[in-house]
Amino acid sequence: MRPLSLSLFFLLAVGPLLLGIGYALAYSLGLVGLISEGMTADHWVKVVGGGEFWASLGTSAYVATMSIGIALLIALMATTSRYLNFQEGTASYAIYLPLTLPAMVTGFLIFLFLSNAGIISRVSHSIGLMEDIQMFPNLVNDVYSIGIIAAHTLMATPFFIILFANLYKSERIADYAHLAATLGGNRSQISRKVVFPMLLRPAFPTLVLYLIFVMGSYEIPLLLGRQSPQMVSVLAINKLQRFNLLDKPQAYVISLVYTFIVLSTLILLFWRSNTRLKASRL
Amino acid sequence: MKRLLLIILLVVIFIPFLTLLVFSVGGEWSYPAILPGNISLKHWTSLFSGASGTGKALTISLVVSLAVATLATGLSFFTSRYLAYHRFRERLLVLAYFPYVFSPVILAACLQFYFIRSGLSGNVLGIVIAQLFITFPFGVIFFMGFWNEEMKRMADAVSTLGGTPLQGFLKVLLPMAKGALLVCFFQTFLISWFEYGLTTLIGVGKVQTLTLTVFQYVNEANIFLAALAGLLLVVPPALLLWFNRRFIVLAD
Repeated sequence: MRPLSLSLFFLLAVGPLLLGIGYALAYSLGLVGLISEGMTADHWVKVVGGGEFWASLGTSAYVATMSIGIALLIALMATTSRYLNFQEGTASYAIYLPLTLPAMVTGFLIFLFLSNAGIISRVSHSIGLMEDIQMFPNLVNDVYSIGIIAAHTLMATPFFIILFANLYKSERIADYAHLAATLGGNRSQISRKVVFPMLLRPAFPTLVLYLIFVMGSYEIPLLLGRQSPQMVSVLAINKLQRFNLLDKPQAYVISLVYTFIVLSTLILLFWRSNTRLKASRL
Repeated sequence: MKRLLLIILLVVIFIPFLTLLVFSVGGEWSYPAILPGNISLKHWTSLFSGASGTGKALTISLVVSLAVATLATGLSFFTSRYLAYHRFRERLLVLAYFPYVFSPVILAACLQFYFIRSGLSGNVLGIVIAQLFITFPFGVIFFMGFWNEEMKRMADAVSTLGGTPLQGFLKVLLPMAKGALLVCFFQTFLISWFEYGLTTLIGVGKVQTLTLTVFQYVNEANIFLAALAGLLLVVPPALLLWFNRRFIVLAD
């Protein structure tokens, strides 16, 4: 039973990853594939030396940072609000409902609401805010990726509210806030010095993982993104599926470089976070 | 103020679901009408008659997600028990996190060659296996917390009292794990149910799940069928949410 468990673990969790990286590396170096002509670093030079990949990585980082930043702000305000209680009651149940919306459906809904002929444009027209459909700004497939950011914010906000509401309860933050108030702290000081740090510190690993999830997202930018620059996953898959076979090795280079960057960032962030935690315990 | 904010929150939460419902019964949507016209149930009836292909996509999605959830939960439950008590537990746990460094669609791109060579590309079995590569590690990570010292002491107590390992497993550990097994089943079902990129690449468009159908309809500018397929995608997670609240949270 024991060797079987370990074999199964390597077969389903570790093996595919190693096989995938191995094949991608061999393809990117020209060792396998229909157009392979022996070992070459040309594809790596083209991707790493060119601007397309870095623009794509920058777009992905920008979208992820904006989406998580906005969602975080809304979630912190909602969790610490005096008027809404996400720890118990109707709001605490209802906030789970948006989690049932898949990325593809969220993308579709944003398209329905924000596109030029979408619901918001029609409402603006009917209340006299604009006379012509052309006057409505491009919010989908646009330069600033507003549609993608809106979709990811919509998905991340309820998740963060639930996360913070649970932390608020488990870390007994209300008691600490009350204590700070007794000691003379005003509302702003209590939020900045007590509540927000107590919520953000334990949530840090989840926030980083969510950021990486948004950076690597595929469906939403595929539906709502523009042609150039594309987000990393869309760029890699587009290059993989193009008729031009010369683009295929570049798709694997993009996949490998992106994975390496994400992995290094994760290791660095968690290593620093662990070091700080250990230092604070000493 | 509290009541007003709660009402606004509930409206905001329910708007996406109502929008999908309204558009799923719509027939035309010409500018500047805010809501669709020609309201009818023709898209819903086409679902049951099999004319639109959405019904078939729903069946395929259900088959794939149920298979993935059952296999991932069962296999990860047994595997994690061994890994949790292994002397290299921490290192093995880190390895389980590694598939998440890849975006699922990028993982699929790197594995596509193997699926084509083994004849698993473009069929349901291939998609189930590919989705196991992301759901199985999730299950392992999920159950690592379940196999703690208390569970080990329970198993030891059964053994001390003369019970066989099988009896200990069936009569003690399995009943204790019921809640965790259900939650893991739901979570892996949802991961599979929502999956798009990996399914597109491994299925090469031949296996049409509901998420693929939504994308196809949006691309064809058929927003009414896209809304119907989108609504069908939302129903099982909503039911699981209700079930989770009714039978697991309240029971605990």
